[in-house]
Amino acid sequence: MADLDLEQVAVLIVEDNLHFRTLIRTILQALGFEDIEEARDGAEALEVLSSFEADLAIVDWKMDGVDGLECVRRIRSEPVEVTKFLPIIMITGYTEESLAKQARDAGVNDFLGKPISAKSLMSRIVSVLEDDRPFIKSEDFFGPDRRRKDGEFDGEDRRVKRGKEVSPNGDAS
Amino acid sequence: MSDEDVQVIKPPNTLSAKVSKGGPGAVDLEAIERAEAVIAGMADNYLEWVEEDLVKLQKSYDGLIGDRDNAKERMETIFGIAHDMKGQGGSFNYDLMTILGNDLCRFIEDKETASDVDVEVIGLYVSAMKVVIAQRMEGDGGAAGTEVLNGLAAVVEKLTR
Repeated sequence: MADLDLEQVAVLIVEDNLHFRTLIRTILQALGFEDIEEARDGAEALEVLSSFEADLAIVDWKMDGVDGLECVRRIRSEPVEVTKFLPIIMITGYTEESLAKQARDAGVNDFLGKPISAKSLMSRIVSVLEDDRPFIKSEDFFGPDRRRKDGEFDGEDRRVKRGKEVSPNGDAS
Repeated sequence: MSDEDVQVIKPPNTLSAKVSKGGPGAVDLEAIERAEAVIAGMADNYLEWVEEDLVKLQKSYDGLIGDRDNAKERMETIFGIAHDMKGQGGSFNYDLMTILGNDLCRFIEDKETASDVDVEVIGLYVSAMKVVIAQRMEGDGGAAGTEVLNGLAAVVEKLTR
């Protein structure tokens, strides 16, 4: 993760707890991020995204109002391309595998358990930066390919024969 | 949408495009260590925040004692506060707060009602969390920290057996 200059990267923090927001913002600023906006729940996040072109969102799971999972689903349903492909790291105190699956099914790129540290957060940001997985659009899912390089995926594989690769605007390529 | 409509889409990678390598503001291991030091420097902020949370936790616990008919809702409030405390503790080297917050959440998360024993156990967790902060038990809290965790576990085991 050496020598990455992050000051041009715009980050949206979605977190209902003021203390957590302060902690995340402080870590990001210490790491060199300068363009940071905050939202207190998923509904406010969508409002902020209508005027703030984020490159990365850090979203808490458990929030009063529109929670993190619903926030991710709404972001992935946005008609605006920049928004619907937004890289999302979900931060949560829940670390059970079944919940991580729910997060992946909602369309998150990566997942970080609390408590967080500068090292763990940066590690996830680098992971998202290096994430070259395509997005998958199907009847019931839109988000980063849930099959990581380790091949972990327990759903029906419908892409081996039928999938076709398309560009972000939907054109086949 | 049929199976035939499953699409594999290459997303625009705006994030990578904005990240440059090198330069005076670049993130390296030293930058991460500096960021960790900034968090450590927020210890006073954390203690202020957690004191506020402990007041809210005690107030919610008192609410549970006085309103057992609405125990589920009262415990949901306690769960929310404890869950936040769990998430913050370890970031500021108060690992015991993360352990106790987690144990409290696990204890109450599936409860629909609160028995006398349940209320007593929740009170023990609240008291233990207060002790950790009052005595500034950072990290694993050393021998005193072990004593708090083991003592609490023994009492909870005895009460809930």
